[in-house]
Amino acid sequence: MEYFRSGLKTVLGAPTPGTQPTGPETVERLVSRVSTSTLLEDRRDACRALKALSKKYRLEVGAQGMDVLRQVLELDCADCEIIGYCLDTLCNITSNEIFEEEGETNINMNVNVGEQFTEMFLKNEKNVAVVLGFLEEYDFRVRWPAVKLLTSLLANKPKEIQDIILVSPMGVSKLMDLLLENREIIRNDALLLLINLTKSNANIQKIVAFENAFDRLFDVIKDEGYTDGGIVVEDCLLLMLNLLKNNTSNINFFKEGSYIQKMSPMFLLPDNIEEIGWSPQKASNMHCVLQLVRTLVSPNNPVQIITACQKTMRNTNLLEALCGILMASGVPADILTETINTVGEVIRGNLTNQEYFANVTAPSNPPRPAIVVLLMSMVNEKQPFQLRCAVLYCFECFLFKNEIGQEQVVQTLLPSAAGATTLTTGQLLCSGIFSADPLSNWFSAVALSHTLLENPAQKEQLLRVLLATNLGAQPVSLLHQCAVYLQHTSKLQSKIGMLMLLAMWMSHCPPAVKIFLTVPGAMAFLTAQTSASEYDNNEELLQGLCAFIMGLCVAFNDNSEKNYSKENLSQLIEKRVSIETYCKKLGEISRHEVYAKAAKQPQIKAKHSSELLLEFEFCKLFKALEGVIIQALGVQRDLSNGLSELSLSEHENALLIQYKELIRDQDKKLHDLQKEIHTMKRENKSLEAQIDELSQTNSQLNDHNTLLKAQLSTGANITSNEPVAAAAPLLAAAPDQGLLDKVNRLESELLEKNEELERLRGDQDNLLTLLTDQDTKLCCFKSKLRELGETIEDSDGNSGESDNES
Amino acid sequence: MSYAYLFKYIIIGDTGVGKSCLLLQFTDKRFQPVHDLTIGVEFGARMITIDSKQIKLQIWDTAGQEAFRSITRSYYRGAAGALLVYDITRRETFNHLTTWLDDARQHSNSNMVIMLIGNKSDLESRREVKKEEGEAFAREHGLVFMETSAKTAANVEEAFINTAKEIYEKIQEGVFDINNEANGIKIGPQHSPTNPSLPGAGGSGGSQGSGCC
Repeated sequence: MEYFRSGLKTVLGAPTPGTQPTGPETVERLVSRVSTSTLLEDRRDACRALKALSKKYRLEVGAQGMDVLRQVLELDCADCEIIGYCLDTLCNITSNEIFEEEGETNINMNVNVGEQFTEMFLKNEKNVAVVLGFLEEYDFRVRWPAVKLLTSLLANKPKEIQDIILVSPMGVSKLMDLLLENREIIRNDALLLLINLTKSNANIQKIVAFENAFDRLFDVIKDEGYTDGGIVVEDCLLLMLNLLKNNTSNINFFKEGSYIQKMSPMFLLPDNIEEIGWSPQKASNMHCVLQLVRTLVSPNNPVQIITACQKTMRNTNLLEALCGILMASGVPADILTETINTVGEVIRGNLTNQEYFANVTAPSNPPRPAIVVLLMSMVNEKQPFQLRCAVLYCFECFLFKNEIGQEQVVQTLLPSAAGATTLTTGQLLCSGIFSADPLSNWFSAVALSHTLLENPAQKEQLLRVLLATNLGAQPVSLLHQCAVYLQHTSKLQSKIGMLMLLAMWMSHCPPAVKIFLTVPGAMAFLTAQTSASEYDNNEELLQGLCAFIMGLCVAFNDNSEKNYSKENLSQLIEKRVSIETYCKKLGEISRHEVYAKAAKQPQIKAKHSSELLLEFEFCKLFKALEGVIIQALGVQRDLSNGLSELSLSEHENALLIQYKELIRDQDKKLHDLQKEIHTMKRENKSLEAQIDELSQTNSQLNDHNTLLKAQLSTGANITSNEPVAAAAPLLAAAPDQGLLDKVNRLESELLEKNEELERLRGDQDNLLTLLTDQDTKLCCFKSKLRELGETIEDSDGNSGESDNES
Repeated sequence: MSYAYLFKYIIIGDTGVGKSCLLLQFTDKRFQPVHDLTIGVEFGARMITIDSKQIKLQIWDTAGQEAFRSITRSYYRGAAGALLVYDITRRETFNHLTTWLDDARQHSNSNMVIMLIGNKSDLESRREVKKEEGEAFAREHGLVFMETSAKTAANVEEAFINTAKEIYEKIQEGVFDINNEANGIKIGPQHSPTNPSLPGAGGSGGSQGSGCC
């Protein structure tokens, strides 16, 4: 065997002139030696040689040696040295970097060599498990290359490695244990491996978090001196970012595990930071910490998570520390920018945090509110573009769901606001809107539009704002001035800013629409823009916005401006623009790439100032109202029964207008009359009710009266003077007309009857006298008859007597 | 809020037995009749009080589907307690308990406290597994047993708290190495091991657990 070995050595080592073996030949011999040699030392030497050649003859080593190397990993796992060479060799051949050495030989080689070998190695999933197993070997010669090999494999086939590690028992645990490694190079490389492993794989992220990743990482960060530490701190923070980004479960775990509190020391700036300055590493670390905060309160997270994190950040004074950085001097611009964005998201939609922020003052002389200082930067052309964007975002966050804040800003613009000497937010925005810098116009218009967001009261309040344009001239309303400026400025950005402000203002606010319609030239401008057929350079966006404003004028029109009623405006659109063109122009907005970009997230993201055209909340508004406008136009069209006035002659048209006028008049009259009838009916009803009530009281009184009468009569029957006397005043007291009438009537009746009686008595007397006369006469005749000799019965005498008696 | 101890739990068992609902009932005190399938693992937390000490429970609710079984295995090692859940109205979920238990025993540390839970006790009319059977299984395998209803909240508190009590007792007996975080137990930040009898940080000192902070 020893002889054989030396023989091989001569073959490989002895430089026999003329027959010097080529690289590939050497590799072939080495590979066969590894596979056939029975002595460990031989195999070890061959592996060492293969490792040395694996950069230069990468292709050969990989193609011929892969299987042999895999065998060694299994069979010689007890020998750390050979395993180390083996892992190193595999690492080299699967690496995705191109080595200097191979440059000459494999210049024509495909750059994907590493990836192909990775694929080969992964064909057998057991291989990865074997490498994972080597992580448990403490020997540096094994553990370190194992980490490097996994890193290399992961770089080439991330998805596959993630899946394999996920299902291999304790795979993640083994990697996590490496964070406790006291040999820093292994720990740091493991950190890098974990960063790549956790990329966009929620399940691995959760397991890593479960395996106490946050505790370990915070320990490392602390040991390394927080943000003053080196790149390891940055790596730790990057890993945390991976674990938390879009992973609600882990964010919840982070919050519940009180890790937000552990972040606090990283925001503390030393007192002498201005003197020592910010090293690039410190700036990078700080940047990552800020990203970490933003990941927790990102507007994309569920609301309850955001709210809970915001609350914790306030209670642990993290917000305070952030505001401290905001107001500190000497902070690099990019850190300051990111801090402003971060503060914005920590306060966004959280009233308590917003109030806290409103009360932060800058250490200036005189002390000014932080918001004012920030806005001063926003409207300052000399400030970096990204910083200005951040200020706008922060200001928007401050106003988000903050009616008090919105009111306070608008209040500073109203005439009643006292203290003209101090600079206010409102003044800054107003001067920004009409400044010569188009970017300031855009920023300020958007900022102001956010004071009106979902706040109808402030839309009306802002209408009261008056501006003194020229000395001595009549003050004009802010809206009026905006509409005028819109027509006069030549800058696209300014126009679009202005249109977005107007859109926010006029939506759901007829008074604002009314004022806009009275601005001279405003409608003409919109019509001209909307009907324009050519455009260049984002002008289609401008035209779309003009169409949108026109639509708002129809949809939120209360018809109080006669010339620009709903109907007239929709006629205008139909006649001058045509509905098809109009809809097309309106659609330009949502079709534009700027729209898709802006609608993605609330934060203002742009690389260059010219990219700033549309804004998040405007996109939301547009999305909500596009349909409303088209519907409003459709309704108006239906109202005119499809009768387009365009198809009529001038005469007919005039006639039609005349009739329309007439119908309108009649309509109005009809309406008035109907109103009148209505009031009368109501009056009538109330009168009837009154009568009912009166008759009811009357009948009640009647009843009462009868009762009293009955009482009276019973009182009379007693024939006692006293009850009568008692009843008399009662009767007198009762002011009963009916009763008195009756008494009167009865009295007069009585009188009549008495008279009649008197008359009858007189008649009777007369008749009696006549009867006596007749009697006397009869007696005379009787005696005469007796004298004449006639017999007369006495009966007559009796009857005469009886008559007399009666 | 500070705590004396932190325990890590996992909830395991067949899909649809009500693991997520148990967690939701325990952390949020509400029941959601229609719950999406858990994908991978979800996290929840709550503070409880045992022996007048604040104890924070961190609970990982796992997916019951077979496809996620290997992911679930990653959580056994670091957990101090496990709730093994079956559905009393579905016998097959009871029949699978042995598989679950083998898996848990194989991948967890030997001291992990396992609580067997027969869930959906409110659906008595559809019961397929007798309470006695659950009790027998638990006795045979050395588990604590309870029937719960995530819907009516019956025994839900008790299930989580009794598991915590068991772990707490094991700590008192010195069975757990509390300095090894791989056991799923952590000592609170203000409670050094040298002074473990410190009471929890006042606050809501009721015997019932307060809401999670």
